[in-house]
Amino acid sequence: MKPYRIKAVIMRHLYEVRRNANHITYMVYWPIVNIMVWGFFTLYLRHGDRLQPSILSCLLGAVILWGLFNAFQRDMAVGFLEELWSRNLVSLFASPLSVSEYVTGLITVTFVKAMVGLTVEALIAWLFYHYDIFPMLPKFIPFILNLALFALTMGIVVTGLIFRYTTKFQAMAWSFAGILMPLSCVFYPFSSLPGFLRPAAWILPTTHSFEGMREAINSGGFSVLHFRWGLELNIIYFIVAVVFFRVMFESARLRGLLVKME
Amino acid sequence: MLVTVEHLAKTYGNFTAVDDVSFVVQAGEIAGLVGPNGAGKTTIIHMMLGLISANAGTIRLFGKDLEDDREQILQRLNFTSPYMAFPARLTVLENLKIFAGIYNVRNAAAKIIELLERFGIGRLKNKPISRLSSGETTRVGLCKAFLNDPELLLLDEPTAYLDPQAGIRVREVLLDLQRSRGTTILYTSHNMHEVQRMCNRIIFLGHGKIIATGTPIEVTREILNEHRDAPALDEVFIRIAGRQPDEAVSN
Repeated sequence: MKPYRIKAVIMRHLYEVRRNANHITYMVYWPIVNIMVWGFFTLYLRHGDRLQPSILSCLLGAVILWGLFNAFQRDMAVGFLEELWSRNLVSLFASPLSVSEYVTGLITVTFVKAMVGLTVEALIAWLFYHYDIFPMLPKFIPFILNLALFALTMGIVVTGLIFRYTTKFQAMAWSFAGILMPLSCVFYPFSSLPGFLRPAAWILPTTHSFEGMREAINSGGFSVLHFRWGLELNIIYFIVAVVFFRVMFESARLRGLLVKME
Repeated sequence: MLVTVEHLAKTYGNFTAVDDVSFVVQAGEIAGLVGPNGAGKTTIIHMMLGLISANAGTIRLFGKDLEDDREQILQRLNFTSPYMAFPARLTVLENLKIFAGIYNVRNAAAKIIELLERFGIGRLKNKPISRLSSGETTRVGLCKAFLNDPELLLLDEPTAYLDPQAGIRVREVLLDLQRSRGTTILYTSHNMHEVQRMCNRIIFLGHGKIIATGTPIEVTREILNEHRDAPALDEVFIRIAGRQPDEAVSN
């Protein structure tokens, strides 16, 4: 991998952010709307002591972290879709740029954008709803990294599907995270799931990130168990996703789809 | 040989796009890859760029196998086609800076300005691609193609969207750059006058197969099967385009 090529991909997507207002919408507008809606909801629940403060903290923490996961997965796939919509794929892949260099550049930009969204949400939660995520960040960071890695894995899978099946799968860019949400235990603990769904929820790294976050808020401790499960599952899924992507990419080359994508 | 293509084949289901094609291109040559629509020209170029994988055959560029040394090979060549596009919201300059970065071009800013001026679009550098005409976008593609001083240039119908005046200018620039840098060019076009003027040698394709190769006059004599004193590639083209697939290699 050559750093100058990765830098060129980063430049390409930063120029796009500057020129395309949709990116500002994705990066800032939706996180603001999201945290405001949930923020007012927690104010309502807090009024008259309807719920314990730790549950309200879990709720707002979950909103912020789910927003990060969703943004990361979506921006990865949309970043790639932008090449497809602008018919730029042929120029890019007829150059010495490799797929891994392209994906590394895209991940870097996506990570920065997701962090901007996270910061905006955290600041609003702190200023307007008296929810300060920052002291908890050191304990959250390992779980945030697990979420980011799983979102990246999902982004790779969706991108592979788009390579192979073109825009037929582009809706997945926005909706794939949503499919995982019911089983990821974002707003409720794992123990509240019915028994038959628990095995499926347990093998999602997202479940372990949110369980870990809840444990950090409730007991102030760091759950090594949930961090390790999340990380090990992530490593397995990442390897599978890379293999899946290669298969999809080679299948697209064999079928001549790279030059016909629209 | 700069380009060695051997027994190349590409099929899509029952359709054969390229059928056992072999040819070579020598360093410094301008070779024309010509033929009617569906002859397999663009598919061959896309296979030479690694965008499409072949069902059979090998492609060696600069003496290296494309499948094994993709990165080194693509660093030394470039490609353009009026059918490809650039991110529309980005300016001409931004788009070219991105590709200059990918090819690690030294003094990129000066190089980009020089190429834009040479192709007569210097005034457009700060315009978004979406505001350009097809012909102007084609010339941005040509600037991109020369950014890395390629040893081999693959040009797929480079003048298809240009008006006659712009076409003449682009051909002059291409010939000038080819002479001064010794660039090898593989050129596809439907404009037979242009091919006659530009190319030293022609590879004539029909229905995915090579029908004739040689200088324009040699190809004219071979396909028309009569003595001619001057090339007549338009006639050759019409003759080939009218043939059925099973007649394609009757010569």
